[in-house]
Amino acid sequence: MTPLTGSSGRRGPVAVTSTVIRFRLNGHAIEALVPIRLTAAELLRDRLGLTGTKVSCQLQVCGVCTVLVDGNPVSSCATLACDLDGTEVVTIEGLARGRDLHPVQEAFMEAGALQCGYCTPGFVMMTVGLLTAHRNPDRAMVQEWLDGNLCRCTGYQPIETAVMVAARQMTPRASEPEPEGDR
Amino acid sequence: MAVLPELGLIRSADLGEVLAAVDGDHVPYAGGTELVPAMSLGLRRPAAIVDLKRLDALDRIEIDAAVGTVMIGAMVTHRRLAHHRAVRDHLPTLAGAAARVGNARVRSVGTIGGNLCFAEPRSDLGCVLVALRATAEAVSVRGSRTLTIEELVIGAFETSLAADEILTTITVPFEPTAMSYWKLQSYERPTLGVAVIVTATDWEITVGAATERPTRAVLAVGDTAGLDGFIDELELSDDLGGPPAYKRSVLRARLDNGLGVAR
Repeated sequence: MTPLTGSSGRRGPVAVTSTVIRFRLNGHAIEALVPIRLTAAELLRDRLGLTGTKVSCQLQVCGVCTVLVDGNPVSSCATLACDLDGTEVVTIEGLARGRDLHPVQEAFMEAGALQCGYCTPGFVMMTVGLLTAHRNPDRAMVQEWLDGNLCRCTGYQPIETAVMVAARQMTPRASEPEPEGDR
Repeated sequence: MAVLPELGLIRSADLGEVLAAVDGDHVPYAGGTELVPAMSLGLRRPAAIVDLKRLDALDRIEIDAAVGTVMIGAMVTHRRLAHHRAVRDHLPTLAGAAARVGNARVRSVGTIGGNLCFAEPRSDLGCVLVALRATAEAVSVRGSRTLTIEELVIGAFETSLAADEILTTITVPFEPTAMSYWKLQSYERPTLGVAVIVTATDWEITVGAATERPTRAVLAVGDTAGLDGFIDELELSDDLGGPPAYKRSVLRARLDNGLGVAR
């Protein structure tokens, strides 16, 4: 083994317990000093007041904490806030334009795809992530993407229907390639 | 209320600095899909995490057409693995398995290297990589070494990596034509995974998820007695996914069907 050096007995760069992050949140520039232990869900909910993102299982199983980071759905409860540095984050609060709901939100209303509503922000964000990556998903793909989100009220059929309705609403010209194609 | 205890971060784009920082108390950190929940549950209590995500060299996918291998950086996410053209062309079974790891959020950030290093038995990629006879490159300040996936994953949640070593690259030979991977899954992790490669002479069978680590048998085509022996002798886990007898029954039916064994 290479001998250790330095007064701490350790080599290499020193650990920090907090760091400054800069990222875009729902289109707005954010700069924050965050402890490393802080999760993205804690930053969003407790420090920035965006409580639309929910927290439940904290094991990446239930999906209620889903937000989009650079277009990809992630579990904000299991993401460290320090990892948001340099990213573009979208939460449920970032979808509507004033009183005009996002097509996915409209589709969930139209299909009766919510009851108590606790899981809904997660399902809506996962759906937006899916339709960002795949504009014309089939039911199997919808199930594959929503497999990691739990609802204990409605059952999943109305939610699947809402996703299919939203996909039709948002369908662009057929000639446009799938964004999540080969890369 | 914070879910995590006090935690340090070491972040560098320089491999040498990262290697100098990693030890038992300063642990490699990639997608965090396993480590962050493990820390919040108190199962892991490192003083600091050492972020590997800024090491660009660990994020590459490269083809060596002359040798017939795909080199996959340890930081490549499941989603990228699933959608990468060259991986889909040369390793379609691996790409297909990566497309179904965990859930869509886990696939956004979870990495192939993290998957192997956490060595969760109920996992898909380890089984597929053992079947493909992939190798892994481990690096520390003391140098680098190449090991097979069986040498890397030595038990449930246990690898042969030293505390100061990180996994950098997984090298995977191009997939043979007759390969399949099938899994049984009822909850968020697989209950049973079976990778099968049929060559002109051999049945190569790798079983994962229900075993402590992926377990492979190479049998002559048509050796049903050998197949029975392999299935009967596997030590299968007893958990929420089902008792060993159930998993053995499913495994036997799957292999009989897949290999065309008549009983």
